[in-house]
Amino acid sequence: MRYLIIVFSLLLLCGFNKEVFAQQKKVVIQGTVLDKADKVGIPGVNVQAGSPLTSVGVTNEKGEFSVSVAENSELFFKYIGYTTARRKADGKSKITVYLAEEQNALKETVIIGYQTKTKETSTGSSVVITAKMIQDVPVANLMELIQGKVPGLNVQNNNGSPGMRGSINLRGLSSINISESGGSAFLTPTSPLFVVDGVPIEDANNFDYGFQQGGPGISPLSLIPAEDVERIEILKDAQATSLYGSRGAYGVILVTTKRGNSKVPIIKYTSNYFMNAIPKLRDVIGGMDERRMRINQIMGNDTSYYHGIDMINRNPFLSDSLNAYYNNSTNWQSYFYRRTYNHSQNVDISGGDNTFNYKVNTGYYDEKGIVENTGLSRFSLNMNMQYQPSPKFRLFASIANALAKNSKGSGNSLLQGDAAKGGAQTSLLPAPSQYTAVNSVLSAMQTQNDNKTVKIAANVDLRYEFLKGLAASTNFSYTYNSGTEDNFIPAAINNNAGELYLYNDKQIALYSRSTLAYVLSLGEKHNFSANVFNELTTTTFKADAMLNRNTVNDYIHGPTMGYAYPFSPGGTLDNFSDRRSLAFAGAFSYNYMQKYVLDLTYRLDGTSTNGPDAGYSKNPSVGLRWNFNKEDFLSTISWLDFGSLRGSYGRNIVPTGTIYDVYGRYLSGARYNNNPTVNLDLRTVPNTALSPKTTTQLNFGFDFGVLQNKVNVTFDTYWKYVDNELKAKDLPNINSFEKISTNEISFMTRGYEIAVSFKPLPEKSKLNWTLMVNGDYRKEVLTRLPDGARQLMFKDVNTGQNILYRLGRNTLSNVLLNTNGIFSTNEDVPVDPMTGLRYRTGTGGDVTYFQAGDPRWTDLNGDYILDERDYVSVGNAQPAITGGINSSMIYKQFSLNFNLSFTMKRDILNNAVAERFQNFGRPNVPGSLVPLDRYKFWETSGDVAQYPNPYDFTRQRVIKPFRFDQTLFQEDGSYLKINDVTLGYTFDRQLTKRIGITGLRIYLTGRNLYTFTNYTGPNPESVDALGRDKSEGYPNSRSYTFGLNVQF
Amino acid sequence: MNHKYSLASLYMLFMGLAVMMTAACKKNLPDDRLPLGADAVFTTFTYSPVLGRNTLFTNNFNSGQGSGLPLSFKIINLRKRDGSAAPELTENFPVSVWRKPYMGDEKSLEEIEAKRAIENHPLFEIREHSGQFLMWANSSSSFIKSRPDSGYVFDVEVSNSGGRRYFRDFKLIPYRERAYEPSNLDPITGQAQSVAVHPSFTQGLSGERTSSFIGPGDIDVYFKKINTSGKSLSFKFVDSLYKPIDPNKFSKTKWESLVHGFNMVKTNESVKYDVPYPIPAIAFPTIYTNPGGTQARAVFRYERQGFGNQLIQAAIGFDFNIYEKGDWEVTFRFTRESPKFTND
Repeated sequence: MRYLIIVFSLLLLCGFNKEVFAQQKKVVIQGTVLDKADKVGIPGVNVQAGSPLTSVGVTNEKGEFSVSVAENSELFFKYIGYTTARRKADGKSKITVYLAEEQNALKETVIIGYQTKTKETSTGSSVVITAKMIQDVPVANLMELIQGKVPGLNVQNNNGSPGMRGSINLRGLSSINISESGGSAFLTPTSPLFVVDGVPIEDANNFDYGFQQGGPGISPLSLIPAEDVERIEILKDAQATSLYGSRGAYGVILVTTKRGNSKVPIIKYTSNYFMNAIPKLRDVIGGMDERRMRINQIMGNDTSYYHGIDMINRNPFLSDSLNAYYNNSTNWQSYFYRRTYNHSQNVDISGGDNTFNYKVNTGYYDEKGIVENTGLSRFSLNMNMQYQPSPKFRLFASIANALAKNSKGSGNSLLQGDAAKGGAQTSLLPAPSQYTAVNSVLSAMQTQNDNKTVKIAANVDLRYEFLKGLAASTNFSYTYNSGTEDNFIPAAINNNAGELYLYNDKQIALYSRSTLAYVLSLGEKHNFSANVFNELTTTTFKADAMLNRNTVNDYIHGPTMGYAYPFSPGGTLDNFSDRRSLAFAGAFSYNYMQKYVLDLTYRLDGTSTNGPDAGYSKNPSVGLRWNFNKEDFLSTISWLDFGSLRGSYGRNIVPTGTIYDVYGRYLSGARYNNNPTVNLDLRTVPNTALSPKTTTQLNFGFDFGVLQNKVNVTFDTYWKYVDNELKAKDLPNINSFEKISTNEISFMTRGYEIAVSFKPLPEKSKLNWTLMVNGDYRKEVLTRLPDGARQLMFKDVNTGQNILYRLGRNTLSNVLLNTNGIFSTNEDVPVDPMTGLRYRTGTGGDVTYFQAGDPRWTDLNGDYILDERDYVSVGNAQPAITGGINSSMIYKQFSLNFNLSFTMKRDILNNAVAERFQNFGRPNVPGSLVPLDRYKFWETSGDVAQYPNPYDFTRQRVIKPFRFDQTLFQEDGSYLKINDVTLGYTFDRQLTKRIGITGLRIYLTGRNLYTFTNYTGPNPESVDALGRDKSEGYPNSRSYTFGLNVQF
Repeated sequence: MNHKYSLASLYMLFMGLAVMMTAACKKNLPDDRLPLGADAVFTTFTYSPVLGRNTLFTNNFNSGQGSGLPLSFKIINLRKRDGSAAPELTENFPVSVWRKPYMGDEKSLEEIEAKRAIENHPLFEIREHSGQFLMWANSSSSFIKSRPDSGYVFDVEVSNSGGRRYFRDFKLIPYRERAYEPSNLDPITGQAQSVAVHPSFTQGLSGERTSSFIGPGDIDVYFKKINTSGKSLSFKFVDSLYKPIDPNKFSKTKWESLVHGFNMVKTNESVKYDVPYPIPAIAFPTIYTNPGGTQARAVFRYERQGFGNQLIQAAIGFDFNIYEKGDWEVTFRFTRESPKFTND
C-alpha cells in the first residue's frame, strides 16, 4: 500500500505540470542514506529529482545509491516512515544523507475505505501499530501482541491454548447474547473484521452462534506469522469503518503484510527459541497431612462422634492408611502441566522497485502447549508481487498459504476439563503409571487428537487510470479454509470400546470489489476525491462428522464392524451455511488546503439474512476535520506542531442469524401412504423483517503535537449504539411454533480514549526513549429489550450465577446474594421480632437457622428468610478501564522495550476459590485440598472473618456457605500485567559485514512475566468473557525467548 | 475562508456542539431504575387474623419476573367498611417483640423475658419490603371490629425506583380472640359451643371399674383463667365427680419438660409452673412442643402391670396454645371413669 502514496503523488505531480524541459547536463551522484538514529543504511529509499519529481533511483541493501541527474537539481530522499530529506546535487560525488524517523502522527498514513490517506486528511478514528511494536515476541496469535497498545481495544488473552484466540472487543461489547452449553453460560464471542491485504477474513465465524466444539478451533489470525506483518491498523469509529460496511460493525482491523522495496534482494531470517513455563499452580495439601486434615475435620465437625467414625470407616482412603493404594502423596497437577521448549523460524525474501517488486515469506512455528498433549505447529508461505509498468497500470497479486497442525488433547478449543478434573484429585491415590486411579489422567494423555487447518488465500488487485484523476480498480480474492479433526479415545479409557471421531469442514469465501475513483485538485487548494464501488461476498461453510464406536482395536481405527455399526452416526452437521452479501457504496471527500476536511460516505448493504421485508440496510457516514494549526493566526506559535479537531457520525452493520430465522425451514417427515412427506420445522417461525445488527457511532477527536513532537496526544470520545441485536424469543405455547428470532435488543457504549506519546529526553541525548501511554474508559448502558420489557434474567443452572439484563444498567449484571461479612457469634443472627425465629433458609419442614460462622447474606425483603427474593444485581464483568504502557529505549547498540497492559474496574466471579472451599465440604470425597492459610475464615465464636467456616461440612450441605452466587466471591479483577520485556543488541555493521551479513541483532524476551493484582484467584485475565473464573480454562504460559534477526 | 473568528470561538462552537450532543444522547437513554412489572401481584386480598395473637401472613405477594427487588409496601386508606377512619389500627401500641431468639433452653423466666422488649407499633402492619402483613397480639375485640362485623378495608401502595402501583380493597376481617387452642369457642361469635375440649391422644388407659378403653373423647379438658395478672400454669386431674386425682399417680411423667416452666410446685391435687406467655413462646420445635413447634405438648405418663405381667405404658398427651397472660388452670376430667393406676 505504501506505493500507492508514492504513485499517487507522482501521478498528481505529473498531471499538473505541463512544461517541457530542455535537455540539461547530467551528473552522477553517489552516496549513502543512513538512519539518523541507528546509523545504518536504509535500503529501498526512493531518490527523486526534477520537476515534476520523478524517481531516479533506489538505494541498495546497504543504503547506497548512484543516480544520474541534471546538474544543480535538487534530490529528494523519500522513505515511508521517515521525513523526506532534500539535497542539492552540488557536484560533490559522494554524499551522506541522514533520514530521521517521522514522528509526526499526522503524517502517518492510514488506509480507510480501501484508500490510503494521511492522517491529516482522515476524519475517522484509527490507530496504527507498526511491525516494530510487535516484533521480538513469538506468539501464535497476533492479537496477543496488540494488547495494551490501542486505546479502546480490549484484548483479554484468556485462552492460553496455542493458536486459539482470547476475547477482543473494540469499544465495548458488540454482542450481549448469552448462549448456554452444558448448563453454563457463555457470552457470544464477537471479533472485529480483519482485512488482511485487502481481503476480509472472518475470525469468529466458527463460533458465531455459541460454543463450538468441533474442528481444530484455530483462529485464522494464528495462521499469519507476526514476522510477515508490516503494520496493523485498528479502525474504530463509524467513519473509518464505513466502507467496510457489511461486516464492519464490530470494528475493523487491517493487517498489511510486508512488501518488497529494494532493488537488491534482501533476505531476512528471524529465529526464536522460547521456553514456555508453567504458571504458578495451586498448592495442595498432600499425603498424610491431607488424610489427617480430613479425619480431624470429620471428627471435629460431624453431628456426632459415631457418625464421624462411621464416615471415616466407610471410606477406605481415609481409614485404610496402611494400604499402599491409599498411602501416597501424588501431585496430580504435575502430570498435566509441563515446561516446553519451542521455536519458530521465518525467512523473508523480498526485492524490487516501483515497477516490479516481490516478497516471499516462509515460516515455521512450533509450540507445544503447557498442558500435556496439546500444541500447535504452523507452516506458512506467503507471497506477493506488484507490477506497475506505467503509472497508469498496476497489478498486485498475493497468495497466502498456511498449514497448521494442532492438538487439543482431550479438551476443546476453550476448556481443558480433564486437566482440571484430574488435577483436582486427592493426593492419596497412587501416581499414574501403567495403571491410573484417575481416568481423566489417561484421558488427557492418551486421547489422540490430531487436527489440521489449511488456509489458502489468493488475491488479485488491478488498477488502471484511464483519464487523469479517474481510475478504475478491481479486487478479487478467494479464500479456502479447511479444518479436519481426528480424535481417537482408546478403549482402556472408554468402557473398553475405542471411539474415533472424524470431522472435516470447509469454508470457501469469494470476495470481489470494483471501484471507480476520481481525484481532482483545483489550484492546489480545493481537493476533491470521490469513488463508487460495489462489493460482493459469498461464504459457504459445511462440516461433516463421523463417529465410529467400538473400533477393532486401539491401533486399527478402521471401519466399525458388527453390532456397533448402527450406533456409529455420521453426516453433515447442521451448521452449514451459504451466505452472501452485496453492497453499493459511494464516498466523497473534500479538503481545503488540508485545513478543512469533509468526508461523506453512503452505503447500501444487502445480505442473505436480511429479511425480504427489511430490504437493504442504508448506512451513511459523515466526517469533519479541522487542522487548526494551519490557520494563519496559529502559524506563529512555534511550539505547536499540529493540532486538529475531528467529528464523525456513521452507521455500520453486521449480519446476524441464519437464513432459517428469516425464511423458516422444511424438514423431511415420516412416510404417508408410502410417500415421503415434507413438514414445516415448527421450532422457529420465519421472521421476514429480520435485519442485520447495526452500530451507530458518534465520535469526537482531538489531536495535537507540541514541542517538536516531544508530546503527541490523541483523544477520542464516542457514543456507540448497538441496535437490532438478535435474540430468539419464546412464543406462548398456544402457537404452533416455539420461538421467533427478533432484533429487539439495543445497548450503547459511551467512552473516552486517550493515547499520549512522550519523548522525555532531549533530541541530542544518546539515549533515545519513547514512552507511550494509552487508556480508555467506557460505560455500557442497556437501552432496549424484547417486548418492551425492562428486565430479563438469564438463568445459569450450574452455578446459580444468573445474569440480569436491566434497562439503564450495564448490559450484563450479576445476580448474587449480598454477603455482608460472617456471623461472628450466634447473637449476631437477626431475629424476627414477631415470630421470634432466627434468620433462616429453607421452607416447610426443611428449615435451617443461621448461626455463627455462616455468611451474613442480606435479607433484601426483610422477611427473615433467605430465598430467591434476596438476590441483588451487582457487578459488571466488563472492564471499565483498559490500557497499556509501552516503552522503547535505544542506547547505542542496545535496545530495551517493555509493554505493560492494565485492566481496571472489572468484577470477577472467583469460582476457582469458591471451589477450593467447597472441596472442604466433602471430606469423604477424594478431591484435592488447597491450604487455606492465606484466607481469613471463621473458626470460633467471636472471630471477625472474611470467609465462612470451611471445616463445618455439615453446614455446607444445608446452607451452602460457599455457593457461587454470592458477592463474597465477586472480586475486583483489576490487574497490571508485564506483557513482555525485550533486551536487544544490534551488532556493529562493520563487524558483521566481514562475514557477509548486513544486519545482525540478538534479543532476549520475557513474556507474561508478572501480573500485579489483588485478585485472590489464579489469574485475573484467565477468566471468561462473563468474568467467571472457571478452573477448566487453559492457563496462560510464561515464556522466555532467545531470538535472532539476520539480514543478508 | 475568512479568519474573522478567533480560535476560541470556533473551539467553543465545537465543544458546545459536543456538549449538546452529550446531553441529547443522555436524554434518550433509559434510567437505571428498578422495573415494576405487571406480573407483581398480591395473591390474597382478604386477611382474617385471630385477635389477641401475633399473626404473620406470608406468601401473599408474588413479585413475578418483571420487577426489580426490593419493592416497598405501604398500607394506605385503612378504613372501616363505612369509610370512616380506623385509628385503632393505625396508631402505635406498645407490643412485645423478640430481640433475641427463644431457643427453648432458657433457665429462668427472667432469661426469657430479657429476650423480649416492648416497642410501639400499629397493630396492623405491612412489612416494608416483603409485603407480609402483621397483626400484633395486643389487638382485642374490645376496640377492633371483628367478626361477625365486616371489618376494615385498605389499599396497598407498592413502589420501587421504577414507579408505583396501587392494589385496592384489601379486606381485613379479624376473628375475635380465642385465648387458648384447642378452643371450644365459635370463631365468629365467640360463644362456647361445648364446655370442654379433649386431649390430643391417649395411650394404654383403661378404666378402673370396667377396664374399658379410655380414649381422648372420654377426657374433658377445661381451661380456666384465675386472674389476668399472674404468669402461671397448673394442671389438675379430676374424676367424673370432680374429685381430685393425685398427679403423682402419673409417675413416669417428665415433670421438668412438661411445659417450659419454672418453679414447679406439685401437690396431691395439682402441679403448677411459672411460665412465660404465650405458650409456646414461639413456633419453634423444642422438647416442650409438638414436632412442628406449633403447640406446646404436655404428656402425662405412668406405667402399670397388666394381665400376663405385661408392662402397660399409659399416657395422656395434650397439644395446646395459651395466648393470654394469667394464672391458668388446665383440668383433665375423666368423664366416664378414672383410669386404673394399679397393677392387675
